[in-house]
Amino acid sequence: MFPKGMPRNAGWWALLMPAFLLLTVFYVAPILQVLSISFTEPELGFGNYERILTNRSVQRTLMTTGRIAGITTVLALLLGYAVAYSVTMASERARRWWILCVLVPLWISVLVRAFAWVTLLRRQGLINDALMGAGVIQEPLELVWNEFGIIVGMVHYMVPYAVLPMLSTMREIDPRLMTAARGMGASRWVVFSRVFLPLSLPGVVAAAVLVFIFSLGFYVTPAILGGGKTLMVAEWISVQILDLIRWGFGTMMATVLVVTILVTLGGFSRVVNMRKLFGGGG
Amino acid sequence: MTLELHGLAKSYGGFVAVEGADLKVGRGTFLTLLGPSGSGKTTILSMIAGFTEPTSGQIFLDGREVTQEPPEKRQFGMVFQGYALFPHMTVAENVAFPLRVRGMAKAEREEKVKGALDLVQLSRFADRLPKQLSGGQQQRVALARALVFEPALLLLDEPLSALDKKLRAELQEELRALHRRIGRTFINVTHDQEEAMSLSDSVAILNHGRIIQLGAPEALYEQPRTRFVADFLGKSNFLPGTVREVTQGALGVQVGALRIRQAAGAAKAPLGASVLLSLRPEKIQVLEEGEAADNVLEARVVSWSYLGAGYSIIVDTALGPLRLAMSAWRAPFHPAEGAAIRLGWSAEAATIVEDDDVS
Amino acid sequence: MEGAYKPGWFARSTGLIVALYLVLPILIVLPVSLTDQRFLSLPRETLSLQYYRNLFSSPEWFSSILQSFWIALGSTTLAVVAGTLFAIAAWRLDRRLVNLMRALMLLPLIVPSIVYAIGLYRYFRWWDLLDRVLGVIIAHGVTAIPYVVITVSTALAAFDPRLEQAARGMGASLPQLLRWVILPRIMPGIVSGAIFAFIHSWDELVIVLFIASRDVFTLPRRIWDGINENVDPTMAAVAVLLVVFTVLLLLADLTVRKKRDS
Repeated sequence: MFPKGMPRNAGWWALLMPAFLLLTVFYVAPILQVLSISFTEPELGFGNYERILTNRSVQRTLMTTGRIAGITTVLALLLGYAVAYSVTMASERARRWWILCVLVPLWISVLVRAFAWVTLLRRQGLINDALMGAGVIQEPLELVWNEFGIIVGMVHYMVPYAVLPMLSTMREIDPRLMTAARGMGASRWVVFSRVFLPLSLPGVVAAAVLVFIFSLGFYVTPAILGGGKTLMVAEWISVQILDLIRWGFGTMMATVLVVTILVTLGGFSRVVNMRKLFGGGG
Repeated sequence: MTLELHGLAKSYGGFVAVEGADLKVGRGTFLTLLGPSGSGKTTILSMIAGFTEPTSGQIFLDGREVTQEPPEKRQFGMVFQGYALFPHMTVAENVAFPLRVRGMAKAEREEKVKGALDLVQLSRFADRLPKQLSGGQQQRVALARALVFEPALLLLDEPLSALDKKLRAELQEELRALHRRIGRTFINVTHDQEEAMSLSDSVAILNHGRIIQLGAPEALYEQPRTRFVADFLGKSNFLPGTVREVTQGALGVQVGALRIRQAAGAAKAPLGASVLLSLRPEKIQVLEEGEAADNVLEARVVSWSYLGAGYSIIVDTALGPLRLAMSAWRAPFHPAEGAAIRLGWSAEAATIVEDDDVS
Repeated sequence: MEGAYKPGWFARSTGLIVALYLVLPILIVLPVSLTDQRFLSLPRETLSLQYYRNLFSSPEWFSSILQSFWIALGSTTLAVVAGTLFAIAAWRLDRRLVNLMRALMLLPLIVPSIVYAIGLYRYFRWWDLLDRVLGVIIAHGVTAIPYVVITVSTALAAFDPRLEQAARGMGASLPQLLRWVILPRIMPGIVSGAIFAFIHSWDELVIVLFIASRDVFTLPRRIWDGINENVDPTMAAVAVLLVVFTVLLLLADLTVRKKRDS
C-alpha cells in the first residue's frame, strides 16, 4: 500500500502522521462509531431509517430544516452578492474597510451575535421598544423565537461565507471588460447582466453550496433564536440524545445530515473547485 | 571526482524522459549537457543530484554507487536555475548555509565564507539580502555558496540563462577561469550552444532523452555524427546523395546533377549507399575567376545580411538554396542580390552524417 | 485606477445597507452593556459601568475565562504543530494519496459539529475524557487542524520548491531544512493559522455542551447558560469584551499578513 519511493521519503511521511493519526483516532473514529449506532440500536437493521417515511416529527424537522436552509441560502446570496460587488468595484483604500466589515463578523463569536439579535428582536427588545415609542405599533411584534428570528440570525451569520467565494471569483474579472462594454454603448444594466453576472456565476454557485451545507447542520443560532419551538435538524438530534436518550433515532438523523452534506458537496465538486472553496494550497 | 552513469533511465508513466544514458566524466573535467528543452538534460542532472529517482540504471561517484542515496549525502555543490538563494538570509548567511548544516564552528565558517565571497568578488555585499543584488551578483553568490564547502563535484543548472547577453559572456569567462583555478569536476546543463562550446572540455549532446554524441567541442563541430548534432551546433547545409564511386580514401557522391568529390573519413559508405553530407557555411569558398576546387558550383545570390565580422549569404544553386558565411575583411566580392558567383569546396570540407532528423 | 468602472447608486447603496446589517447588530451590544437599567436596554439617564464591575468581580466568569484561555492555548498548540507539519509534508510529497489525506483534514469544516459532538460524547466516555480539560483540548485541537493546514498551505504555495532542493543538495537534513529554511519562510502563515485556531477554540460551544458539564465550564458555555436562563446586561459586557478581543486578534493577523506581503 505504500507508494513507490517510500524509504527515501520516509521523513516526509512521518511528518504527515501526527495530524493524520489525530484526525483518524479522535475525529473520524468517533463519528463513524456514533453513526453506526443508527443501524444497531435499538435493534439491528434499518428500522430507524424506516421512520423517515412514517414519523411525523422526523418529517417535520427535515422539512423545516430544508426550508430554512433554502431561504437562508437565497437571502445570504442576494445580500452577499451586493457586498461582493461593492468590494470588487471599490477603490483600494475603501476595499480594506469593506473587507473588515465582512471579516470581523465572520470571526465574532456566534453566541455574541445571537445574543445581539435577542437584544434587538425580543418582545421588550430595542426594535419593539423603538417602534412602540414612535407609535408605529401598539402591540410588540413577534420577531424572535420563531422561524423569522432564526432566518434573520442565520442570514446574518452566513453572509460573510457567501461573500468570500463570490469575491474571489469577481476579483478575477478584468474590470476593463465593463469599461469596454460601456464604451460600446451598453447601459449599466446590460453591462451587469450580460457581462459581469455571467462571469461571476461560478462564485455564486460555490457560495450557494457553502452556505447551504453550513445552514443544514447549524446549531447555535437556531437553538437560541428559535426558542425551542422551531427545531432544525441539529437541535432535534441534541434533544433526542441528551433529553430523550434515543441514540438510534438521533444518530439516524445525524447520518442523514452527513450524507446529505457529502452528496451535495460531491455533486457540485465538478462545478465548484473545492480546494479553492476551502483555501487548500498547492 | 569521477562520475559514471550506467544505463541511467527515467520515465514518467509512458513518457520516456531519459533513455539509458551512459557517461563517464573524469576528474577535473568541465562537461556540458547540451540539448533543446525536453531533451532530458535537466532530468539527468537532477538524477545525478538525487532529486529525481532513476527508473533504472546506476550512478557512481568515485567508484561508489550512490543511486539510492538522498541528495544531502552526495556531497556536491549546485548552482540552480534562477539561483534559489534563500530570500530571508543575507549573502553571507546564504554562503554559510552548507557549512552550518555540517556543524562547522562559527570562526572557521566565517573565514571560509569570506574566502568564497572573495573568490567571486562579492565581499562588499556580505550583509545584503539577495533581492538587493543584480542578477549577475546573485549568480555569483549562488556560485560561492555551491563552492564554499569545497565539493569535488559542482552541478550547474542553466546557470547563466537568466542574464543578458553581455553579462553572460563575462560570466562565462569567469566560470571558465574558476574551473581552471580550482580544478574540480563541473557538470553544466544548458541549451545555449555557444555557452557549451566556450566553457566545456567535453560536451554531450542530447535529443529526445538520448545522448547523441559526446566529445570535445571541436570534435563535435568538425565531425558531427548526425544531422541533429550538425544542425544544433552551429549552422550547416545538408546535401542528400548516393555513393556512385569508391576509390582510395575518396568517394564520388551524386547529389542531383552534380558529382561531388568527398573524402571518405570514418564513415562507412559502400557503393550505392544513400548518404547525407553536412557542409558548414564557412567552408564554402567564393572562387575567383580561373580558381579551381575539388567541387565547383554556379550560384546566384538570393539574399544577404551584414553581421559586422562577416556576411551571411543565401544563394540559389542547382542543388537548391545554400547558406554561406564569408569574412567581411578582404571579401572576394561585394554581395548584391542577383549577383552570379562561383562556389567551391574541398573534398575534406563536408562530413558524412547520419540522418536522424525525425521532423 | 484611471477610467475604472464604477458601480451605480443602486449597487452602492445596497452594498452599504448590507454592510450596516452585518456590523450594527454587533455594535449594539456596546451601548447595552453601558446601560443604567436593570434589564437589557439602551442607557436611559446615564452611562454606567456597573455590569463590567459585576463581570470582573464574579469568580464564575473569571474562572470560565481563564479555563477557556488555557484550553484555547493548548488546542492551538496541538493544531499548529500537527497542522503545520502536515501541510509542509503534503506540499512536498504532493501525490494522490496525500491529497486524499488533505481532503480528510478538511472534514471538520464540513461535518456539522453536532455530529462530532454526539460522537465524542460516547467515545470519550470510553477513554474517560468526559468533563476533562484534556478532552476539550483534544477535541478543539483536532477540529482546528484544518485552519492551520489551510493558512500554511497558502503560505507554502508562494514558497519556491528549489529552495528546498538547494538546501537538501547542500547537505541539510530534514530537521535543519525545516528549522532554517521552511519555517522562517512560512511563519506568517503559521501565525495566521494559530490565531484562527485560537479563536475557534475560544468560541466553540457545541462540542463543549456534550463533552463537558461541571468541572469544565468554558466561557461560551457560561454565555449559553446566561442567554437561556437570565438575560441580564452583564452578558452584554461579556459580549463587548469578546468582540474587542476578537478584533484585536484579527488586527494582529492583518499586521502579520502585511509584513508577509511587503
